[in-house]
Amino acid sequence: MSESFFDHFAAQAQSQPSAPALIWDGETITYGELAAMAARASADNGVADLPEDRPVGIRARKSPEAIALILACLQAERPFLLPSVELAPETLAKLFAQAGAGRVLEPHGPRSESASLRAIEEAPAEEDEEPSQWPPAGGGDDISFMLTTSGSTGLPKVVPLPAGAVDRFTDWAASQFDIGPGSVVANYAPLNFDLCLLDIWTTLKHGGCVALVDQDRATNGGYLADLITENEVNVLQAVPMLYRLLIDVTREDGRTFPSITHAITTGDKIPATSLEALPGLFPNGRFFNIYGCTETNDSLIHEFKGLADGEVPTNVPVGQPLPGVRTLIKTDDGAFLDGTGTGELLVWTPFQTRGYLNAELNAERFAPHPEAGDGETIYYHSGDVVRRHDDGSLTLEGRADFYVKVRGVRVSTQVVEQAIQEHPDVVEVAVVAVPDELAGKRLHAVIRREAASTLNSLGVRKHCASRLARTEMPSTIEIVTESLPKTSTGKIDRKRVLARLEEMTHANG
Amino acid sequence: MDETTVKIKQFIVDEFMPDVSVDELDSDFDLLTGGVVDSLGLLQVVAWLETEFDVGVDDSQLGPESFRTVDAIKTFVDEARGTANAG
Repeated sequence: MSESFFDHFAAQAQSQPSAPALIWDGETITYGELAAMAARASADNGVADLPEDRPVGIRARKSPEAIALILACLQAERPFLLPSVELAPETLAKLFAQAGAGRVLEPHGPRSESASLRAIEEAPAEEDEEPSQWPPAGGGDDISFMLTTSGSTGLPKVVPLPAGAVDRFTDWAASQFDIGPGSVVANYAPLNFDLCLLDIWTTLKHGGCVALVDQDRATNGGYLADLITENEVNVLQAVPMLYRLLIDVTREDGRTFPSITHAITTGDKIPATSLEALPGLFPNGRFFNIYGCTETNDSLIHEFKGLADGEVPTNVPVGQPLPGVRTLIKTDDGAFLDGTGTGELLVWTPFQTRGYLNAELNAERFAPHPEAGDGETIYYHSGDVVRRHDDGSLTLEGRADFYVKVRGVRVSTQVVEQAIQEHPDVVEVAVVAVPDELAGKRLHAVIRREAASTLNSLGVRKHCASRLARTEMPSTIEIVTESLPKTSTGKIDRKRVLARLEEMTHANG
Repeated sequence: MDETTVKIKQFIVDEFMPDVSVDELDSDFDLLTGGVVDSLGLLQVVAWLETEFDVGVDDSQLGPESFRTVDAIKTFVDEARGTANAG
């Protein structure tokens, strides 16, 4: 039998017990201490005595105790569902029921207390309980992590990850980003995000130290900058927003981060304005753009160099498939692309799930290659539209779901957002398609400008004129100074932007 | 700026860009490429020109090129009025 994830962690705890494993709120927890915490969490919760054939639920905000509890589950080789604690109590209850979770565990300890968790305690008992979908297609014996991903409607989708997939991923990530004893990796994402498989779990498996970002201070640029400096962080993986926060806070004090050797941007396209600033911010850094999703984990990688003087900002490629990863591009008419062009990206990775826990959802997302495939390699249909260039590199064009018809022409609201985002005074932007009797859909842009900016709709139009086709130009432009509504994962909530717009339209007559 | 140009700019700003001041709108700004005036907006502009300047706009004249910029609209108005005065 091959060594489990926990075996690797335990070996680190044995060989270097006094090496730092976690840094939390200025405090260092060593491998020896973390192993002891995991043993305590296991004993307190009776993890070893839990039924072997059923998963457990874990309800935890990020904390060392939460990580110790997950280690206890990994040691016992129990599958565990780790959803976002930000979800509504009813939703959480349904997810745990769907996963067939026999018990829902919570970390104990002073650092894991939080108001939001106490609120969840009062979740009402479910009357019409969600039926259990456990075990997933392909069996549940080898499942470890079960993460969730947002569904377009209703419940988040549960993504069970086989232990082998996690092992392969954590080994790849460690070698790609030089993570091992002595390295410090920042963890920016919430504990339930797939990104933690790199930041936290790769690092603990391979003997590095994780500097944990407190979720409550994740938008505080000064706190983030201090965390990187004080802990001499080497590897940083985050959504583009983090880089924007660091750029803004260092604009005032001119600080740089020489300890960073690998800066990884993922989850969203990085705006050209941030791209330009990265080499100055991280003078010793290599820069990577990673494309992945919860279902497949990291799939494509591109190393980039920032922007040279006078270089025109371009779309950073999502790059080349990781070792062992296969990709296909499916065009609108269902054919597979050989050369250049655009289409939906289909991916198979050695790190992927065998399918959602709710097998009914698999038909629309997972399918074998219909032509040349071996019938067993199941490709994930990403819903992302990519363009393949002459040199074989791929760039992200947008979500297939973001395409709307404006006066009969197919337009990506994301392309419009990206063009507007390139204006230096724009903090954030949402472009939504508003139903229109004559045009079918018309585009409305809501733009939050920098506090000191005087940018108005004319300025935006002048900026966009050279960047967008006429059909892509928003019909109406609204400039605001307050934050746009966000989803629980911090992305702009376009549905709420649209709903608010419709309310205003009705109110106005 | 002559009176006609000011009136045209004021109308465009009021109707299509309420957050913009008249001074900011250049006479040669491309209203069509800039997405300020689309094909429906064009009809609004024409209806207003007919009332405001008492000019007749017949369908054959109704090409978007005549309305691409404030300058183009002014030229159109001047010519239409010239024709009307002459007749």
